[in-house]
Amino acid sequence: MQEQFLAQAQQQVNAPDIAYGAIAPVLIVLGFACLSVLVEAFVAKERRWGLQIGVAAAAIVLAGASLAAFISSNDAAGGPTGKTGVTTLAGAVSVDKPALFLWGTLLALGVLALLLIADRTVGGDMQTEVFPLFLFALGGMMVFCAANNLLTMFIALEVLSLPLYLMCGLARKRRLISQEAAVKYFLLGAFASAFFLYGLALLYGYAGSVKLADIATAAVGTDRSDTLLFGGLGLLVVGLLFKGSVGPFHTWTPDVYQGAPTSVTAFMAACTKVAAFGGILRVLTVAFQSTQWEWRGVLWGVAIASMAIGAIFGLTQTDVKRMIAYSSVAHAGFLLVGAIAMNTDGLSSTLFYLLAYGFTTIASFGVISLVRSGSGEATDLSQWAGLAKRSPLLAGVFTFLLLALAGIPLTSGFIGKFVVFSAALRDGMAPLVVIALVFSAVAAFFYLRVVVLMYFSEPAEDGPTVSVPGAFTTVAITLGTFVTLLLGVLPGFVLNWASSGGFLS
Amino acid sequence: MSALMSLLAQAPAAPAADPVTTGEAVAFWILGPLALAGGLGMLFARNAVHSALWLVLSMLSLGILYMIQQAPFLGFVQIIVYTGAIMMLFLFVLMLVGRDSSDSVVEVLRGQRLTAAVFGLGFAGIAVAALVRALNQVPSAGLASVNAQNGGNVANIGRALFTDYLFPFELTSALLITAAVGAMVLAFAGKERQARKTQRELVIERFQGDRPSPLPGPGVFATANSVATPALLPDGSVAPESLSELIEGTSAELFGEERASVAGTGHAADAHALTGEEAAR
Repeated sequence: MQEQFLAQAQQQVNAPDIAYGAIAPVLIVLGFACLSVLVEAFVAKERRWGLQIGVAAAAIVLAGASLAAFISSNDAAGGPTGKTGVTTLAGAVSVDKPALFLWGTLLALGVLALLLIADRTVGGDMQTEVFPLFLFALGGMMVFCAANNLLTMFIALEVLSLPLYLMCGLARKRRLISQEAAVKYFLLGAFASAFFLYGLALLYGYAGSVKLADIATAAVGTDRSDTLLFGGLGLLVVGLLFKGSVGPFHTWTPDVYQGAPTSVTAFMAACTKVAAFGGILRVLTVAFQSTQWEWRGVLWGVAIASMAIGAIFGLTQTDVKRMIAYSSVAHAGFLLVGAIAMNTDGLSSTLFYLLAYGFTTIASFGVISLVRSGSGEATDLSQWAGLAKRSPLLAGVFTFLLLALAGIPLTSGFIGKFVVFSAALRDGMAPLVVIALVFSAVAAFFYLRVVVLMYFSEPAEDGPTVSVPGAFTTVAITLGTFVTLLLGVLPGFVLNWASSGGFLS
Repeated sequence: MSALMSLLAQAPAAPAADPVTTGEAVAFWILGPLALAGGLGMLFARNAVHSALWLVLSMLSLGILYMIQQAPFLGFVQIIVYTGAIMMLFLFVLMLVGRDSSDSVVEVLRGQRLTAAVFGLGFAGIAVAALVRALNQVPSAGLASVNAQNGGNVANIGRALFTDYLFPFELTSALLITAAVGAMVLAFAGKERQARKTQRELVIERFQGDRPSPLPGPGVFATANSVATPALLPDGSVAPESLSELIEGTSAELFGEERASVAGTGHAADAHALTGEEAAR
């Protein structure tokens, strides 16, 4: 016994290599999240709010700087086309071109969401704990996009979800509906995680490994039973689609979007979608590309269901936040069309769509948070009647954002839809593209309904007031609207970046 | 988590065939039905405490199964952490909430249970049938050979945790911190803590207010000694402040008659009491 113990003591464990430069953005965000928890513990209550904003902003700025530094060094290292990226931490994290793009997107959207959360002038007023939770969620999303094995992906999924569940319940006003949203999101999210985990177990049984690359190798030409592979894939994808609020797995979306504080909804709507579709793209492309003929039909169906549910249920909504929630379900369907195109155009167009959609959505929620009546936000559509007469600027901005969501030319939404659909066409999915176009037209109707309501109805007597936005909200809405316009007019730069390279495993 | 541990325990599995021995088969056919019974019992027990205990049975059986399948560390972790720590915490919470509270049997959505049962059974049927078929083609790979290498089961798990799975392992700490922050946020919902006033401040405040004396107590009369009976002022009028605000607030009209009778404004014996005039009023 003792000899055995001594023999153990002599063995050397070789720690995996860590490319600190590559994963610095993640480490910075998570490290500052811990710092933010310490601020929560040791700083007096009155000074906490300002300091926490500073910590969170510093985290995002430093992470962005280190990301830029890594991108430039990475580009310099590998000749004219640039290196494809690095995998590090024993292959657990793959920092490749799509991951870098998604990290950049997440950090940029994180800045806007932080601005909305940080603005207390228009009734935000959450507990200061929202800032560490925000940073943890952001860090989890960044890991999720880059996770190269399913176990890392699962832990990252939990790291991003758990803070979001909590943030949903943080509203001070309308506490009950906010906490109901949190509980609902938590319970359904736990189920989705269980699905993901079950799928992971089946895939491990199939491939004998949780690495995406190993699953891909195992799937190519073996005589193993495909039941485990496709059972595992199905369950895994259910977990992922839930996070992306796609199709029939969307049931949490309207309630949670409506109940959560509006700034948190903005963060959740934009960034979770980016992270979830980043994960979906990576899993489908890296691990399941070779078996695409077997599963692509199912995802066709899911994409159609998602577009149909989003467009048709969106028509019947009377609440602005619920309407945007159903619009996000429809957009998830469009994104899925790009994600299952399974070619390089599909990848780059989906990445572009995610960026464009994120900016537009955050700006829309920023606008929604400004229209208030005595009892809080006036989210009921009837209260928005004739808003243009009372506040032409706000109505104009919101109209522009709605047109972007509908995909009208000169907005980023149009370019996004255009590149996604053309990638799908090139992959021979013409019927799906036709269906998607039909549902875009249906969805455009309910955006236009709001526009008509704002411009051509008489304002109600006791209608809501438009509060004067604080500096932070103004900046967030302005930036979001500006990017929406910029990407609609000059999309080339971002499209180039998005199509600079594929996944590395 | 248990799935995670099982993955970690099996990570370096070699594909060497390792036949199932008779003892293992016997243990499986005893423990398997027990685990299944525990799961079903947990679902169908009306009482929450019974549910928890059924779950303990299920977890214990699984723990022993892990040990038999050459994963002793995982088995002990399952029993110590899950059955020992987490389930006991569960029971604590149930006892705090009140063990009498049981499931509501009201269906909110009509036909939901039936539909859920049908779909659930269907899914279970498909999953079991498919997995049985799939797993029959898979050779059983034991852990015996791997457990003999590199210092055994525990050492191998430790090695996997700190090499291949270093990042997920470290990332779990973010999860734990979030959970701690979340418990704080939900449990301590920002109550404004005010400094308690001292006796001196209270006295000063009282003398600066409009009534330095205590409020009059309720009236005690030959006819009534209820706290709801107001006191009378020297001029015979009712002193409304002699009644607790609580009583005032809750059901003023309930005490209206008593107050009126004490003040002498109530109605006296009425010759027309039986004509129904009272009821009409």
